[in-house]
Amino acid sequence: MGGHRRGLAFGTTALASAVLGCAAFAQQPTGPGAAPPGGDAASSPTGAASSPAATVGQRYAERFATVCAACHGANGRSDVPGTPVLAGQPSFYVITQLFLFREGRRDNEAMTAVAKGFTDNDLRGYSEYIGTLPPVPAPAPATPPDAVRMRQGLALAQQHKCFFCHGADLSGGQQVPRIAQQREEYLRASLQGFRTGTRPGYTQAMIGAVSQIPEQDLDTLAYFAANFTGPAAPPGK
Amino acid sequence: MNRIRTLTALATLCLMGAASAQQAPAEEPGWAKGRPKTDTAMKMAPVPAFPIPTAVDQLPVNKFKLPPGFKAEVWASGVLDARGLRQGPDNNIIVSTLFVGNKVYRIPETGKREAVVIIDKMPMAAGIEYHNGSLFVATNTQILRWDNVDGKLDSLGQGKVIYDKLPGGGDHSWKYLRVKNDRLYYEVGAPCNICDPGEWAKLYSIKLDGTDLQVMASGVRNTVGFDFDPKDGTIWFTDNGRDWFSEELPNDELNHITEPGKQHFGFPYCHQGNIPDSEFGWGKSCDDYAKPAALLGPHAGSLGLKFYTGKMFPEKYQGAMFIARHGPWNRTIKYADIQVAWPDGKGGARVEPFMTGFVENNNYLGRPVDFLVMKDGSLLVSDDHAGAIYRISYGN
Repeated sequence: MGGHRRGLAFGTTALASAVLGCAAFAQQPTGPGAAPPGGDAASSPTGAASSPAATVGQRYAERFATVCAACHGANGRSDVPGTPVLAGQPSFYVITQLFLFREGRRDNEAMTAVAKGFTDNDLRGYSEYIGTLPPVPAPAPATPPDAVRMRQGLALAQQHKCFFCHGADLSGGQQVPRIAQQREEYLRASLQGFRTGTRPGYTQAMIGAVSQIPEQDLDTLAYFAANFTGPAAPPGK
Repeated sequence: MNRIRTLTALATLCLMGAASAQQAPAEEPGWAKGRPKTDTAMKMAPVPAFPIPTAVDQLPVNKFKLPPGFKAEVWASGVLDARGLRQGPDNNIIVSTLFVGNKVYRIPETGKREAVVIIDKMPMAAGIEYHNGSLFVATNTQILRWDNVDGKLDSLGQGKVIYDKLPGGGDHSWKYLRVKNDRLYYEVGAPCNICDPGEWAKLYSIKLDGTDLQVMASGVRNTVGFDFDPKDGTIWFTDNGRDWFSEELPNDELNHITEPGKQHFGFPYCHQGNIPDSEFGWGKSCDDYAKPAALLGPHAGSLGLKFYTGKMFPEKYQGAMFIARHGPWNRTIKYADIQVAWPDGKGGARVEPFMTGFVENNNYLGRPVDFLVMKDGSLLVSDDHAGAIYRISYGN
């Protein structure tokens, strides 16, 4: 075992319908984390005023609005530099990161402070709610992305097999994050963190994937993914 | 090369990219070596354990099916990533973890059976053993030993590194430990799905101070479960077969060491005793390698193996070995269960199902890993998927 996942979905409608990335297939998103909401009853220690009748989803929608939205955006698209876009992230990915923050394994003071008090049910509730947020495209840039740099980025992404795990549309799936249209400076910091070993992954996959890539190429990859708007349909299909 | 060309072509087509990679594509991870480039296979990859244990009221104990007279119950829950089980001192069970936990726990056998962390922040601390007051823990890079731990499990301090020449890495590099006659037994699996493993893919033993390394068996792709037959002291071990050959082949193996150090169990040349590898099998004959005692199913993830040494179970099970099939990640149809096997006295073994019910609608509800025979003769089973330990008992 290792802990990567991949999948090169390839085809006509499959591409449009997003490939689910490398990730999504081997298991249904059930796992222990997909426990029915019944087990969660009234266990949230903090939080948002929620009526007893509120569903778990509603409760965590409220808590997201009060706890997360200020930095990550009400719809999950952050406009705060360094703060990642959560919209469109798979819930499995979200729960692994919240877990790493809570355990202090992923180094981020603000997030560890937030996650420290989370119960297992909180991790489940937040990640399942965030998993329901649809992807939100980045605001249109003032000038179109640099075509030469995008071509370089595409070549690098192919060379380093980014699409195998993150999907042909870079939308991620399961424990693999969506990186298409993620904030560039966040992607850059993440890649550098994997390269230097300061950012542990939930698995070793990214550390293995980027440890040999030169720094400037990682910057190009970050630029590419941040500006990536999805693969075009293959010709003739 | 064909594979690489195909992948490049696919990715290029997908993206309609005009650019071409100037450098050679990056190496595939070890587990992906040999994977067919079909859509179905390309969707399969190891799935890490979920970071949250299943809530106690949702554990699948009511789904389990056992032979008449046996009963399974939750012995401990909330044990994130529960892997190896060993009897510790002071009425504690020691529990290891693998990719998620980075911890070793103790769980008191009496009172509140909650996991207490005794080692923290130690990645891949999967191999554990307790022997005569000493605790052994093996990661993928080294073996540590703590002496005089009785009464001191909660304040272990720094362990002494007794062996640091393990190869590390992520593929089949985690450990399973047992002590017998003042020697510590462990394995180093192949650093890949299928490859020339070089000096690895062996089962070893060393003295308890880390010296006097000896090879016990070669050609062992990845064993994560072995035990000594209480009748004659010989080693029986599970061995995970290669991936990506086909959905139904090859089987995992149950193997028996009858000539320590001399037998080669086939990897990477021959699988399940009768299938030459499609790449490494050329020029080799399966007859030159030790045959498995039994086959354990394709991609079964056969892990923990324990001879039943208790008295609680019916006579039929005394001297039998229990085998945990963790279940496949790279097979369309999932399965996971506990098997029971008996040496047949003729070099083979008879195997039958013992406990089923870990899979529902092709999804894992639990995945068994390792065993411990308790003092009362009941059998503990760890489940890393659900973060739980079950107790199997017989009669009242």
